[in-house]
Amino acid sequence: MLVLYPFIYGFLTSISLSLLGVSLGELFTVFLPRVRTMVVVLYVGLFAMSFDFVSGYTGYLSFGHAMFYGIGAYFVVLVGTGKIPGLPAETPFMLIIVLAGVLAFLAALAVGAVSFRLTGVYFAMVTLGFAEVAHVFIRNWSYVGSNPRDGVGVVGRDGFAVGIPGIDALQFRLGRLAGDSFENVLGTGIDLGAAEVSFYAVGAVVLVCYFAMQRIIHSPFGRVMVAIRENEERAEAVGYNTFWYKLGAFGISGFFAAIGGALFAGYRRSVAPENTFDLFVTADALLAAIIGGFGTLAGALYGHLFHEFLQGIFTTESSGLARFLRDTLSEGILSAGVGEFTVLEFINVFIDGRAELYLGVIFVAFVLFVPRGILGSLRDRLGGPLAETIPERLRRYRR
Amino acid sequence: MTGFELTATALPLFAPVEITLDALSKAALYIVIASGLSLIFGLMGVLNFAHGSLTMLGAYLGGAVMVALVSSATGQGMRLLLFFVAVAVVFAALTAFGAGVERVLIRPIYDREPLFQILLTFGLVLVLDEAATIVVQLAGLQPQTEWQDAIGTAPEFLAARYDIIGTSTRGLYLFEALVGLLVVTAIFLFLTRTRYGLYIRAGSEDPEMTQALGIDIRQAFTVVFGVGSGLAGLAGVMLMWDPRFGASVPLGVETLLVGFIVVIIGGLGSFKGTVVAGVLVGFVDAVMSWLFINYIDFPGLPELVMFLVLVTVLVARPQGLFGVEEVGGH
Repeated sequence: MLVLYPFIYGFLTSISLSLLGVSLGELFTVFLPRVRTMVVVLYVGLFAMSFDFVSGYTGYLSFGHAMFYGIGAYFVVLVGTGKIPGLPAETPFMLIIVLAGVLAFLAALAVGAVSFRLTGVYFAMVTLGFAEVAHVFIRNWSYVGSNPRDGVGVVGRDGFAVGIPGIDALQFRLGRLAGDSFENVLGTGIDLGAAEVSFYAVGAVVLVCYFAMQRIIHSPFGRVMVAIRENEERAEAVGYNTFWYKLGAFGISGFFAAIGGALFAGYRRSVAPENTFDLFVTADALLAAIIGGFGTLAGALYGHLFHEFLQGIFTTESSGLARFLRDTLSEGILSAGVGEFTVLEFINVFIDGRAELYLGVIFVAFVLFVPRGILGSLRDRLGGPLAETIPERLRRYRR
Repeated sequence: MTGFELTATALPLFAPVEITLDALSKAALYIVIASGLSLIFGLMGVLNFAHGSLTMLGAYLGGAVMVALVSSATGQGMRLLLFFVAVAVVFAALTAFGAGVERVLIRPIYDREPLFQILLTFGLVLVLDEAATIVVQLAGLQPQTEWQDAIGTAPEFLAARYDIIGTSTRGLYLFEALVGLLVVTAIFLFLTRTRYGLYIRAGSEDPEMTQALGIDIRQAFTVVFGVGSGLAGLAGVMLMWDPRFGASVPLGVETLLVGFIVVIIGGLGSFKGTVVAGVLVGFVDAVMSWLFINYIDFPGLPELVMFLVLVTVLVARPQGLFGVEEVGGH
């Protein structure tokens, strides 16, 4: 499904059929996330998965996870502006990504070595403390740029490319402006715009990371992580030194979080403290993981997809529901209402750019009523991972 | 150039006075911010992430009361009186709100892992902040910056600066220290002299035994969550006049983090610890702000050092200065 998304989107939004006077194509434009939003879903989804990797599987709530995302993002931009000694600005992006990951891995080990002396609520707070120290630091570190509070951008360097370094034909540059686009790919008549190329390039990296994390979770190491979540004392009694397992999981999680951040910076070509190191960036991962399903890994990606889906509907931009309603509904309906409070007023106040409010409400509802999240609940219902159970069910119906 | 030389020579002599005055007002604010968090965690083991947002609501609500009641003709003494009216209104409103939140949202999840309580209260942060943003925008204000009209309702004798032993300070800061002292005394008397205070202390010690002795601990939970929320609101009212803070939506996260620092350093669940840690953090903040203004050119210095103190305390004494080992050690 996700692989073909750009084409499905392109097809559905171009439908010129209309139903009850409303164009179907326009309706899809309102309700489907745009392709360039899907790129965001991918890299933030990776970040959310890395959060779920440590928090969902070991049960330790890493409330400062934005720190690792920020390290990845800032590392890319600093290399891109030539500010990291020993690394020229034109260093291949794939190498930068890995280095960013390693850096965050080391940072996570350092933070974890202190934080894992604590448990539960205390662990959440001390990781938050570390992330805030990093946040304050990056907001004021004038080495980053002349105005560190507003962040920095990469100027001059070519687009950051995903692919095999050294072979130009296998490099695909990311970005809305600096990205590659291809017309008539391999003579098939399919055009790929910059957004589509970024979607596939980022998607490839995210997929590799997902498989790597999935692999670790299903390894003996991952089993111990789950054992720690279920009953740490027992895991210890069985003979595992849980400290090292927790630390290892935290480091790995930091590694992948930084890759998410690096992809973000590679795509956006600029970073700012409030979209990297901020508490609300951790909140994004938290929302995604809880809504998608805590401890399901892939759920986090779908959780963030849901987030962006809501945001896309409630956006103030031209593809949002508010704009659509204002254009579609007749003057009579818009001005109807009780006294001063008209339908138009309602749209402006409760729909235009209000995704966060509903998301917060939905999040609270999920915590209260669906603690297993979307994917977790589906798995409970079907009795196993979707990839295994759905084909099974379909086969049963076919007979 | 001469100005610089003047400060460079004049400051070291009176610096301790200046720092102490600054520290006292900050300590008072931080203690009031943290006390509600501390009470709630002590009894219920719930870390209320929405505490800062309640402070933010309190600041706006208090500001609204003041702006509605104060006109330019209102006398200075009357303004001070109205401040206490605002305190009463906000405390009552947020106590009711907090009790409602406890009954409806938090009660169903006591028997789940503590993780879910963090998640739930954090979800409340998202909802409250966004709701506040909507209302504030509807009122024609800018949610990201301080509400200047509310700051402007402060009586002149508080907004003015006074010379004290070689340095100058705002009357407001002394007023804050005074109010902080009142609040601490009130909470202390509440804990030690009233029946509910007894329940709270007993419940913090051993909830099951307290229940077995016939005390309705669930009702105590509701009351404490309410009072804790009310205290958060009260802190907001104190901050609404302060030009260093002021009513704004980001105030929520800002005060939440300060509250965490104070409560953790003091030891979760120990009110005495909260007071001591509040004074400590107030002094750290004041010293670092002073260093930043005079010597070290790094704007984030106070926050950075406060967090470093937090991390150091957690590593050296995970339960905090006055904390009991078992409380919160899930």
